[in-house]
Amino acid sequence: MTRSFKGRALLAGALEGEALVSRVGFNTYASYSTSLHFPVERALCADRSNQQLFGKNLSEKILCLPKSIGSTSAGAVWLRVAMLGIAPKALLFSQDIDSLAAGGLAVAEVWSDHRIVAVDQLGDEFLETVQEGDRIEIREDGTVRVR
Amino acid sequence: MLNIDSLKLQLSPEETAVLRGERGATLAKVMKTIVLYGEALGAERLVDIEGDGHFVISWSTPGIAAPIELLDQLVEAGLRTRFPFTLDPKPPLDFENLSLRPEQELVVERMFHAQAGYDRRMLQLGLRDPNAYTCNPFQPEVGNIPERGAILAWSESASVIYANSVLGARSNRNGAVIDLLSNILGKIPLTGLLTDQGRRATWLVELQAADLPSPQLLGAAIGKKILDGVAFIVGLDRLLGPGLSEDTRDYLHELGAAAATYGAVGLFHVENITPEALDFGRDLLAPDHATWTLTDQELQDMLGSFPVPGSDGDPKPQRCFIGCPHLSIRQLHWWSQQIRNALQARGQDRLAIDTFLCAAPQVLQKFKAGGEAFDQLTAAGVKLTPTCPEVLYEADVMTGETVITNSSKLRAYSTARFIPDEVLLDILVSGEIGGERRE
Repeated sequence: MTRSFKGRALLAGALEGEALVSRVGFNTYASYSTSLHFPVERALCADRSNQQLFGKNLSEKILCLPKSIGSTSAGAVWLRVAMLGIAPKALLFSQDIDSLAAGGLAVAEVWSDHRIVAVDQLGDEFLETVQEGDRIEIREDGTVRVR
Repeated sequence: MLNIDSLKLQLSPEETAVLRGERGATLAKVMKTIVLYGEALGAERLVDIEGDGHFVISWSTPGIAAPIELLDQLVEAGLRTRFPFTLDPKPPLDFENLSLRPEQELVVERMFHAQAGYDRRMLQLGLRDPNAYTCNPFQPEVGNIPERGAILAWSESASVIYANSVLGARSNRNGAVIDLLSNILGKIPLTGLLTDQGRRATWLVELQAADLPSPQLLGAAIGKKILDGVAFIVGLDRLLGPGLSEDTRDYLHELGAAAATYGAVGLFHVENITPEALDFGRDLLAPDHATWTLTDQELQDMLGSFPVPGSDGDPKPQRCFIGCPHLSIRQLHWWSQQIRNALQARGQDRLAIDTFLCAAPQVLQKFKAGGEAFDQLTAAGVKLTPTCPEVLYEADVMTGETVITNSSKLRAYSTARFIPDEVLLDILVSGEIGGERRE
């Protein structure tokens, strides 16, 4: 069964991909801390406190999350993973985007050649519905279809 | 792509001209970044930044620092921040004060091989001076003390919360790189803690503690509970006394650092103490605020929630870090006195554990010039450093060492074990965690 949700397209894009789901706040720096310093082919989530994502490959996935949390030092992380080619395809926030993610994605958008599509305000029901491995289709207007 | 004609953010004609590239391609990219940031946060317009900056981007490590390529674009375009800025502490390259093994020094050197070039670019972009590195820039010796009401775009979380709460300045919790870019532009989206509405308290925190609690635990408990809320704390003035004495400022600095670490708190008000609470009292409470009664039991639970690394092995710690965030000169003298008294009580000359006190370069300079207290600390084996102990964990050089700290912030970002001040001294003198005084 396909479910459709409408959010706010912050960095618009039309794409499809596979869902990874964090039902707790996504700690950006903790998640990427082992992928930033030296070249890696994929980013494995290093945040031990995130039971849903720890050890999983974050690259090229569609990351579904409530919002991001953690240190203000994390502002440069999205730019770094975009430049390294290990960023997720898209970030889908169930809540309003937080200031750290908003700033980090804005920096990555302008100062790298790689867009990380971002949609927020998808609602709690979206995060309750989506499961790891689901196929997700994102449209330019912020519509997200989960199947 | 950003469509200038359909922005919700209202730009002035001058700002629109910058976005269109009329003042250069690089400044247009800076403006585009800040406009995207403002759009995402739902801001209606940009406002001028009104004071010096303080940024979190002091380390050259990839993923935390702005990339060198980005900095070079800014420098080549001749851009600088509108006001000077200070930065968080330098990485741990002052090896003479850190007692690292050669192999540890090698790791740190490798990790920060680009630091000198990075520092040079920071100076070109507006860093106030080559020693402007600390997470406690409000100390008079450092002198980055924003005025009440000043609009800022700061990023270091412990500094943002202190500037907002204790000084009454206005900054959101901005991330790395956005801090630099917005201060180059001289503008920041008007939203959140920059607005009167955003500064209203969403939580009434009623403190019911028998004695003055550790600010490290109180801040952590508040942060964990209210996350990104704004707290109005009652009951603390009874224990701290009214007004903002130096002791109270130091206490609130530690409290704020912990609250910002365990949650995402950017502002708290303390009844009868902090400036906006003095002026507006409980009118600061938002109509739909939540209420939480915080007792000694919650503080004990917070302490009990901290993991105890290494508890199954050797209980003898090898290092102790004090000063995360950086100490004031009053705190340096306090620790000096406490260490002297503890050593005298046990008839010892030196501490049993390598102990490091961290403070701003300017604060350390004044403390050393003071003579006696510095000499006594040195004789006791204490080292003073202007660096940040947290970075040693980023560099992963502390693996295998048992480290203790009185900082709940450092504990959160490392494997160091948190020890409250009241038992820390006994451990430093005895060298044994099991040998501390029990209450």
